[in-house]
Amino acid sequence: MTIASDSRPRAVALQPPPPAAAPPPVRRTTRLTRNRWGYAYVAPFFLVFGAFSLFPFLYTAWVSLHRTSLSNIDGGTFIGLENYRNLLQSEFFWNAARNTLTIGVLATVPQLCMALGLAHLLNYKLRHRTFFRTVMLMPYATSIAAATLVFAQLFGRDYGLINTALEAVGLERIDWEGGTWSSQIAIAVIVTWRWTGYNALIYLAAMQSIPGELYEAAEIDGASRWKQFLHVTIPSLRPTILFTVVISTIGAVQLFGEPLLFSGNGTTSGGTSGQYQTLGLLMYQQGWSNFHIGQAAATAWAMFMIILVIVGVNAVIGRLRARADR
Amino acid sequence: MATVSFQQATRVYPNSERPAVDALDLDVADGEFLVLVGPSGCGKSTSLRMLAGLEEVDSGSVLIGDRDVTDSPPKQRDIAMVFQNYALYPHMTVGENMGFALKLAGVKKTEIAGRVAAAAKILDLEAYLERRPKALSGGQRQRVAMGRAIVRQPQVFLMDEPLSNLDAKLRVQTRTQIAALVKRLGTTTVYVTHDQVEAMTMGDRVAVLKDGVLLQCAAPAELYDRPANVFVAGFIGSPAMNLVTGAAVEGGVRLGGTVLPVPRDRLARAAAASGRVTVGFRPESLQLVGPGEGFEVVVDVAEHLGSDAYLYTRLAGADPDDALHPADVVVRTEPRSSVVPGQSLWLGVPPDALHVFDPATSQRVD
Repeated sequence: MTIASDSRPRAVALQPPPPAAAPPPVRRTTRLTRNRWGYAYVAPFFLVFGAFSLFPFLYTAWVSLHRTSLSNIDGGTFIGLENYRNLLQSEFFWNAARNTLTIGVLATVPQLCMALGLAHLLNYKLRHRTFFRTVMLMPYATSIAAATLVFAQLFGRDYGLINTALEAVGLERIDWEGGTWSSQIAIAVIVTWRWTGYNALIYLAAMQSIPGELYEAAEIDGASRWKQFLHVTIPSLRPTILFTVVISTIGAVQLFGEPLLFSGNGTTSGGTSGQYQTLGLLMYQQGWSNFHIGQAAATAWAMFMIILVIVGVNAVIGRLRARADR
Repeated sequence: MATVSFQQATRVYPNSERPAVDALDLDVADGEFLVLVGPSGCGKSTSLRMLAGLEEVDSGSVLIGDRDVTDSPPKQRDIAMVFQNYALYPHMTVGENMGFALKLAGVKKTEIAGRVAAAAKILDLEAYLERRPKALSGGQRQRVAMGRAIVRQPQVFLMDEPLSNLDAKLRVQTRTQIAALVKRLGTTTVYVTHDQVEAMTMGDRVAVLKDGVLLQCAAPAELYDRPANVFVAGFIGSPAMNLVTGAAVEGGVRLGGTVLPVPRDRLARAAAASGRVTVGFRPESLQLVGPGEGFEVVVDVAEHLGSDAYLYTRLAGADPDDALHPADVVVRTEPRSSVVPGQSLWLGVPPDALHVFDPATSQRVD
């Protein structure tokens, strides 16, 4: 209160003279806007945000309008939307976009389904529940590089554990890295392994806020465990599911580390014929292998637009559902 | 329609030494409205949940009709339950909530719609069938919960404090509505409440539980007129029955400085164990008498309620250090009486309104 007091008499002076002793009430909102210390307290976040998020974001947009190379970022020539036109006409872009989509679907759908199932199981009263919850979060705490290298070994063509197992049961070896589907499935497995537990914990937290009486009511209404899951759990989790879908989709569009390290030699080409090159890899290749930083910036912005569209569609779906609920 | 029977039904919660429900023996007749009442933690809700199948039965058995359902899951018991917080499905409309059990049971859509509409008509919910529970008031939600139960046309209704989330006025209103509705449907009902007024007004019979033990199960009037023990005597009735313990002397029990006459044979039996006697008399049965008759009290507070007045008094000459046996006496008198605090009164108890208990066993002596 003392902080705002210096500006208060002036505000009062602007008012017509009060008829009685009671001063005109100074509204709380006006006093808050005058509170300079408040801005000082929130400033650090906005400084960091401006320096490391907003500025790069806008600068990338500016760079994407230039023909420029990595060695001389500021010295490019302005070419308008040329980079975007090139991008849309490039078969590499469409290949990467398609790969990103298929890997994204292959990873996100099973990941969220499995997370839901795991959360449902962990929601029961189990012995060592804390232990299982911790174990589930372990993959998330593992570095992408370490996990991917281990998985690359597992999926190895000649000495990989999976192929050995396949052979043991009489099936043929699969060249996991060489094929389009096989490589994308392998990468999707890594992503799924890493993120299932994380999503399961989010679902579990949401499940624990569902009142137990609802399940008892459903039980008395004659619902089996499965029907309870279908008619009580899933509808109650709907906002949470929407949230995880958005988060996983954003993650899928930005997929980079797993396909980069999957081949074992860290190239950005995404396999010999680009069979698992994602948009993230393509962007990196354009900027840091081919040194066309302007083109890379355009790709980055294209990825941002894709995410924006997906999130927007989700928001619209969420709002329509909410309206239907009313 | 069916009878319900608890036979030595016992529930012991894990990590608990004392049973939550201890060898409960209780028979509910077909079409009867039975109320389980008692203070919190007495096992009334646990008993109901054992009947619902939501709680295990550790020993003994539970029967619905002639069928032993002790180990059957809830859905095989043909029961419907109204929960304290209603437990309505938030994502379903009122109509879907009421029809959910039928839908799960594979009943045809047209029949579900018909039965839901009929229930909605009874409960005055027709205008709200398309709404979600969120958009309803507390009273309306309560009615939806009732509707969900009656749509099922079950053998038994189970109600777990269904009125405790309503405000006082609505509670009284809904109380009579539920009682009338259940009467009309003629369905056997087991109703749990901690409110003895609810129990007395709604139940055909009332079962009083304490610490997991059934103390008395009788019709409300019987419970009021002939409580089987000190706890029931003090629990049923508002304001509570006056219970005073005093030394047994020749001709009666010593209350403060005077002796309240107690019939000789009852006095002898009640005092046999401890030499003391607990007597009970209801506030409305006390009569103002002339000085020297009955026993003397000093008025602390006079409460005027309009229809009647209550005097909160204490025995004159009572031992103030006897904290374990408070000697407070509540008296109902005519409204607008001129009694003032500090005034001394003489009270008499008609012999037929006197309840005598053995303080050693807490049991009634007749």
